[in-house]
Amino acid sequence: MNMDMEAAVMLRDSAQRFAADHYGFLQRHAVLADPAGWSAKAWQAYGELGWLALRLPEEQGGLNADGLAIGALMETVGARLLMEPILGSVIVGTGLLLSQGSGAQRERLLPGLADGSLKLAFAHVEAEDGSGRCEVREGRLAGAKIAVLQGDIAERLIVSASDAQAGGTRLYLVDPGTAGVEVTRYRLVDGRGAANLRFAGAAAERLDPDHSGSAPAAIDEALDHAAAAQCAEALGIVRALLATTCEYLKTRKQFGRVIGSNQALQHRAVDMFLLQEEIAALTLSAQQALAKPAAERARIISGAKAYVCTAARHVANEAVQMHGGLGLTEELDVSHYFRRLMVNAGLFGGRDEHFSRFLESAA
Amino acid sequence: MTDAIREARARSERLREAIRGFYDRVLPDDIKTKSRRHQVLAKSDYVRWMRLLHEQGWAIGHWPRECGGQAWTLLERFAFEDQLARLGCPWIIPFGVKYVGPVIYTFGSAAQKSCFLPRIATTADFWAQGYSEPGAGSDLVALRTEAVLDGDHYVVNGQKVWTTYAQWADWMFCLVKTTRDAPAHKSISFLLVDMRSPGVSVKPIATMDGYHHVNEVWLEDVRVPAENLVGEEGAGWTYAKFLLENERTAGAIVGMAWHALERLKDLARESRSASPRWRGRIGELELRFMALEETAYQAVESMMRGTGHGAEASLIKLRGTELYQHIAEATIETLGVAGVAYDTAALHAGGLPPLGPDDAGGIIKDHLYNRAATIFGGASEIQRNIVAKTVLGL
Repeated sequence: MNMDMEAAVMLRDSAQRFAADHYGFLQRHAVLADPAGWSAKAWQAYGELGWLALRLPEEQGGLNADGLAIGALMETVGARLLMEPILGSVIVGTGLLLSQGSGAQRERLLPGLADGSLKLAFAHVEAEDGSGRCEVREGRLAGAKIAVLQGDIAERLIVSASDAQAGGTRLYLVDPGTAGVEVTRYRLVDGRGAANLRFAGAAAERLDPDHSGSAPAAIDEALDHAAAAQCAEALGIVRALLATTCEYLKTRKQFGRVIGSNQALQHRAVDMFLLQEEIAALTLSAQQALAKPAAERARIISGAKAYVCTAARHVANEAVQMHGGLGLTEELDVSHYFRRLMVNAGLFGGRDEHFSRFLESAA
Repeated sequence: MTDAIREARARSERLREAIRGFYDRVLPDDIKTKSRRHQVLAKSDYVRWMRLLHEQGWAIGHWPRECGGQAWTLLERFAFEDQLARLGCPWIIPFGVKYVGPVIYTFGSAAQKSCFLPRIATTADFWAQGYSEPGAGSDLVALRTEAVLDGDHYVVNGQKVWTTYAQWADWMFCLVKTTRDAPAHKSISFLLVDMRSPGVSVKPIATMDGYHHVNEVWLEDVRVPAENLVGEEGAGWTYAKFLLENERTAGAIVGMAWHALERLKDLARESRSASPRWRGRIGELELRFMALEETAYQAVESMMRGTGHGAEASLIKLRGTELYQHIAEATIETLGVAGVAYDTAALHAGGLPPLGPDDAGGIIKDHLYNRAATIFGGASEIQRNIVAKTVLGL
């Protein structure tokens, strides 16, 4: 077993064990009901389990995890619908800092990321009408970002903005508590928090102080990491949905027999299984593609996310339908899975966006 | 074309015209705004809305003239529901005027007619439907709520579920078992229960849109006067089926699909990121809508002629609800990040969503709740069973 496989196995085991003990449906319900929308206690535990440092190099106490290992954790994030900012901070935010931060910036920030005292959020999406275009002039940021996943709770934001002097897109570190930042906090459909941010001359520290100009490529890579992670999360969700649906088909009785004895429903369950297997295959291929050249990576990962969005949504629709009215209720996990998939399809590139990128990056 | 159909078409066109005028001139702006944004309407909004419809003679337009109605043909009834939905009007609360009203004027006693019908017409009473139970959803005959005669009262014990707006209801019409000896479909009776009776309790069920639509209704030793039995004891299943036929005259779903499709087209036009391919996908939905619309109109006319296959309503419900859900999914996708930002507090208070157009929150709410459209009122699986059995003879 190589190092990467070892990390994947370790993360899978530890995630499943932790979630089984501390993140059952009712335990999660308490997190969901909390106005904060995440559990600081769970976050601390993730730090102790090494998850928060999973992308850090080994010499800095990290696991140097590859896509496969990250996916092993994300499957449980999906299966148990963890509420904490693993995707936004541990995978995307930390990834950007690792690739774009200077030695000094990394030295300053990585320890906090590893011990859980620092959470990052990636503020990238702007309003479609171009009204909030972000620009930095003499170290001051102006503009607006929307739908920043868990930007409501992050201690630092990584903001993409154009550099007025040098031109081109750069990444900046911004303290959301600093003067000139207005944060509007709200919940997403799945209960996780998000924020809209308005910047009016906020102090912004450039990552990549040497001006290598590699920020656009780093953003692409971070978004590909997000998409691959979301595929793994969807896989965890779809497996859980299929299992709970099959269980229901075997126990729910109508017209004097279990509804799963109807061949029509059996066939639909099989179609869900086929989709699950395709999602698993595409997820693995997306994880492996993370190490490939940009063009190939783009085609495989965007193709995977586009397919997985539609496939997982079909599984969730069928799970709700076969559970009947129960499938829509708060008290059953099915509706929570449905909503998490909805959010994942909307953030870090929608289905149509990824499908377009898939078509445009020729094989 | 027969004269009757020609006449009905002309009348339904006039009705549509009148409804457009009503929308422009009579419907208050606050209801229009809430409804256009798919925001949450309060009970008082719904009561106001139903009374406005009644003032126009429309709330019970489908009732016979001797009961105060206009004896609408199926086509007018379809046009009424369809046109209101196309304009984005609120839901026509069906439990009184559409469901229990016709059961009472068809099978009820003279006393029940004079007591209940006028109050149903004016929405003086708010009604709920006590059909489904935890073990009896699609399979209604499996229900277990029991009513035992004790002197001049029935004593009712059991539990109903998915009872829409039971929290607002004054009355609930209820399917109950009145005997254990007869075969299932001959053991059911149709009982009218005063929701203020001791022993009735209503427990909300939270649904994934974060709103309180449906409830559990618990009945514990509830004493119901025997005079509140509709028709004959043990004949409840006949009345229940009669009611379900009324439930399934689904003109509203065609109008709702049209309304949602038009909104989707607007949003796609406004969206810079909507690709030509995406527009193509919306075009496919438009094509499917055309098929639904034509099939629905022709189905209604063949029902009027009596030349139909008998499962027209199932067909419209199947195609209509499934298409409506696909349109909703495409709309959420078109909204992009605004399609997943959901502030339920704002939705309740009439505020704006955190992102996107002012109806974005309502679009999300409808998308979430309307996953139930293929479940309630006879799940799609049951509708397909009906078609397989009654039309295809399988």
